[in-house]
Amino acid sequence: MQLRPILLFALQKLLRLGLLLLAVAVFTFVLLSLSPIDPVQAYIGADMMQISPEQRELIADRWGLDQPMIVRFGDWLGQLVQGNWGTSLVFNQPVEAVIATRFQASLQMLAIAWLLSGLLGLGLGILAGALAGSWCDRAIRLYAYTLASAPTFWVALLLLITFSVSLRMTPICCAAPPGVLAADVTIWQHLHHLVLPAITLSIIGIANITLHTRQKLIDVLHSDYVLFARAQGESLSGVIRHHGLRNIILPALTLQFASLSELFGGSVLVEQVFAYPGLGAATVQAALRSDVPLLVGIVFFSALFVYTGNTLADLAYPLIDPRIRLGGWRS
Amino acid sequence: MMNRRLRLSTLSFSAIFLGQVLVGCGSGQTESANVSEPAASPAQTGSAEQIVLTIGGESEDGYDPTLGWGRYGSPLFQSTLLKRDDNLDIANDLATAYTMSEDGLTWTVTIRDDAVFSDGEPLTAADVAYTFNKAAESGGLTDVTVLEEAVATDDTTVELRLKQPQSTFVNRLITLGIVPEHAHGPDYARNPIGSGPYQLVQWDEGQQLIVEANPNYYGEAPGIKRLVFLFVEEDGAFAAAKAGQSQVASVPPSLAVQNIDGMTLYDVTSVDNRGLMFPYEPATGRTTPNGAPIGNDVTADLAIRQAVNFAIDRQALVDGVLEGYGSPAYGPVSGLAWEEPKASIEDADPDKARAILAAGGWADGNGDGVLEKGDLKAEFTILYPASDSTRQALALSAAEMLKPIGIQANVEGKSWDEITPAMHSNVVVFGWGSHDQTEMYNLYHSQAAQGDFYNAGYYANSAIDTTLDLAMGAPSEAEAIAFWQTAQWDGNTGFTAQGDAAWAWLVNLDHTYFVSDCLDIGQPQVEPHGHGWPITANIAEWTWTCN
Repeated sequence: MQLRPILLFALQKLLRLGLLLLAVAVFTFVLLSLSPIDPVQAYIGADMMQISPEQRELIADRWGLDQPMIVRFGDWLGQLVQGNWGTSLVFNQPVEAVIATRFQASLQMLAIAWLLSGLLGLGLGILAGALAGSWCDRAIRLYAYTLASAPTFWVALLLLITFSVSLRMTPICCAAPPGVLAADVTIWQHLHHLVLPAITLSIIGIANITLHTRQKLIDVLHSDYVLFARAQGESLSGVIRHHGLRNIILPALTLQFASLSELFGGSVLVEQVFAYPGLGAATVQAALRSDVPLLVGIVFFSALFVYTGNTLADLAYPLIDPRIRLGGWRS
Repeated sequence: MMNRRLRLSTLSFSAIFLGQVLVGCGSGQTESANVSEPAASPAQTGSAEQIVLTIGGESEDGYDPTLGWGRYGSPLFQSTLLKRDDNLDIANDLATAYTMSEDGLTWTVTIRDDAVFSDGEPLTAADVAYTFNKAAESGGLTDVTVLEEAVATDDTTVELRLKQPQSTFVNRLITLGIVPEHAHGPDYARNPIGSGPYQLVQWDEGQQLIVEANPNYYGEAPGIKRLVFLFVEEDGAFAAAKAGQSQVASVPPSLAVQNIDGMTLYDVTSVDNRGLMFPYEPATGRTTPNGAPIGNDVTADLAIRQAVNFAIDRQALVDGVLEGYGSPAYGPVSGLAWEEPKASIEDADPDKARAILAAGGWADGNGDGVLEKGDLKAEFTILYPASDSTRQALALSAAEMLKPIGIQANVEGKSWDEITPAMHSNVVVFGWGSHDQTEMYNLYHSQAAQGDFYNAGYYANSAIDTTLDLAMGAPSEAEAIAFWQTAQWDGNTGFTAQGDAAWAWLVNLDHTYFVSDCLDIGQPQVEPHGHGWPITANIAEWTWTCN
């Protein structure tokens, strides 16, 4: 492989990433500092009458909230450069530790949901595109439009009511059965608790990918080269295999990696409904209690996550389509 | 309820069914939805070995008493110097005796010499001193700022020196769990070591806490060996109890009316109260340090405040809003030893309310059903946090009860962020309730009003201030009680309805729990604000009575 374009590409990407993260940090910090939620008040909650003003000052001092916003941002940035993400106010733990444990719980759910929505979305999209206009296509479109316009938490609630409450097939909450030590949790119990949240997340993602794939396939099927192939006696399945798939795989891949951000956002809602203790649930708590270090940390982390996903998509293009070269390099 | 659930599940069924049909109509697509196997969830039945509790109460920032852990209920892992028994009387726990110096500034506590931490190290007076000093300087949820310093004079004696006398300091001796000096650090909150009845086995954050009996505990060994606290919402707690998976479940009153086989409903009285706070001053344009307006011309009139107190039918509120799970409240400390019984009034008396209003100069001159006094209309706004349906119902019902006596109360639900700047100039439905008398002091002392939740109505009566200060400076809780009662009502003055009527207290919420018939939880205390964890106060004494 040619080294120079790859280096150039990597440098460019890193520079953009740095600028993006800086912008994200500034925006999150400023927005949260302007939020009307007072973190000290949120921390004290119902104990207001037992906490004297002196104790309040101690709490504010422990978290550095007595400093003005600019000073706090400077301190935070300085620490971040040294690899210290700060301490979460809600969990009284280093932010990186909170994110690490929470993300481990979320990762499997996100991975299953991502794969399922990608594969099923692509499959349904091809089916609908190939049989455009048939009852099968209509049904798939109805399904996709319905789900595309359904809020995630609503779908999650419906599934919870059906499978956990009425049918009692899946657990109502949590990531492990109650009363069982972590060492004794089997992989099946683990999957059992994971399956419904993951399916909920993927159901939402399917619609988007299906509709895009379908449209792209229809475009391909109406092109001159497909007409030519059909004229030569190529069957529909042959056309799809030889011409369709190659042309729709690129947009599908882009969509698949772009859907990482939606997946991340969806997990916030899904974890809330299923009481699944992942990163999404931590995000909600951090926001409700104005936990600036944790929330900025999570936003940072999710920006990195999504950015990495999109970069992977960029890197995958030249592998799939040899006509594409990194950094506009031409031989 | 049932109908709605049915309809919802039918809807979701059709959505899933549709998905399956679609998947089925194509080529080699795998089945997507519901690949889950039928649940083989082990039915959790309790035993003396293990019970499951769904009472909420997770402490997200860990289990460090110097940061406030254990201020309600049992600290589980740690033990405290003193404790409150079933009648809320003070009893010794780690302490064997305590005395206070003449000036009330030095508390001398002797502790038992046989207590050991769960790691085997002995608990000494040095650990006690360390705990108090640490709590005084750490910004957590336990307020020990009055402490000057704590000094261990020998292995079993510790001196707590205060900046000023404070009779309520005894509540710190009751709630502050003692931590080991040798094992206390930033990691302690997640690895608590203490001399309490239980020790930590596993904490899955956001899900469950598993604890086991501490073999080194100096007291009688707990009746239940292993406790599993499941952190689920109230609906989840009810579902778990109904499925036989949970032996103690805290449920809202709306669910308490149902029956669960094999479980008894515990209807625990509490001081978890709700009441209407009145702005006490007229509006003169004065503002708080944050610029929020202070005062309300209508509620500044004593006749209005008293009339509201007499007109409201508190028992009707208990029956109607709380489904009977509650009791009328006439002051902020119902059911506690320092409540003044004579402060109670005969309420639900609109005629008396009308007489008070007439004597105060209020009359309906224009016949619109609302009284006036000069240019002033008997009208105010009651604010409540919009997310709290109980407070909403209380506010609306109270407003209905005031209409017949000619007071127009407009009810508005808002977020706390909106209520906070408006609470010094509008009536607000607040809820308090604590075993610590400091709360009463902060609700009614004029110096406490600094533009915050402390005395938000800017109530000010110098006679009451003096009495409250005397109570705070009294040498012991027993001697302070007389002053606390006097402040409520002494026959001439007081902050309750017959006196200044600074608030119209409405109801105390009962805390409702489903408890397994096989579990003996003794006699629960009158619980403070906060439904759930307080029931654990005597958890070490719980026993399993079935085989």
